[in-house]
Amino acid sequence: MTDFNALLRLLAENEVEFIIVGGAAATAHGSARLTLDLDVVYRRSTENIARIVDALTPIKPYLRGAPPGLPFDWSVPTIKKGLNFTLVTTLGALDLLGEIVGGGGFEQLRSETIEVEIAGVNCLCLNLERLIAVKRAAGRPKDLEVVAELQLIQDETRQ
Amino acid sequence: MNDLDRGETGKDLDPVIEAYRNDVDVTLIRENLRLTVDQRFQQLIKLQQFAEDLRRAGRKAREK
Repeated sequence: MTDFNALLRLLAENEVEFIIVGGAAATAHGSARLTLDLDVVYRRSTENIARIVDALTPIKPYLRGAPPGLPFDWSVPTIKKGLNFTLVTTLGALDLLGEIVGGGGFEQLRSETIEVEIAGVNCLCLNLERLIAVKRAAGRPKDLEVVAELQLIQDETRQ
Repeated sequence: MNDLDRGETGKDLDPVIEAYRNDVDVTLIRENLRLTVDQRFQQLIKLQQFAEDLRRAGRKAREK
């Protein structure tokens, strides 16, 4: 299980700059689908990466699906060398994304967000229009199912 | 940023999406849209817990 509330609080308390995307963003917009992880696009600045490292160190991030015991150095240089990290933590599954298909990085997406309050935390969430575009661009069968639902949500909210 | 990066292509996907639309339960969406964003997340967390309980029960049943 992923503790969405605790993960969001942890990121916010450490002043991490991030945008909620993926299934959690779909939930924010009204999707009835079950999602098991928290996907966020993070700002790739040195300062923000340092805040991410500090925030997540206590919850022991590790590469999801990697064999136990595989060396994984959770540090600023590691995040700088990589881009997207699918992590398992003591609070659940967290995908830290430097960029997403159909959307780009934090800077490109920032203007296409809405502010939402979850468990007392104010966070940025990808807006519905861009979320649909991103899911279309990803193009996997499961994404197209989500697009169908998100388009219905768009129709309902426009009425 | 090109069209693909912005997700503005893929018109050929529309019939597939249209087919999926027929299976979406609009009543659930309408219920969700009455909730606040926070309430939608707390509902998701409960649903996760329920799914986990079901998995656990399934494992237990298979062990018998």
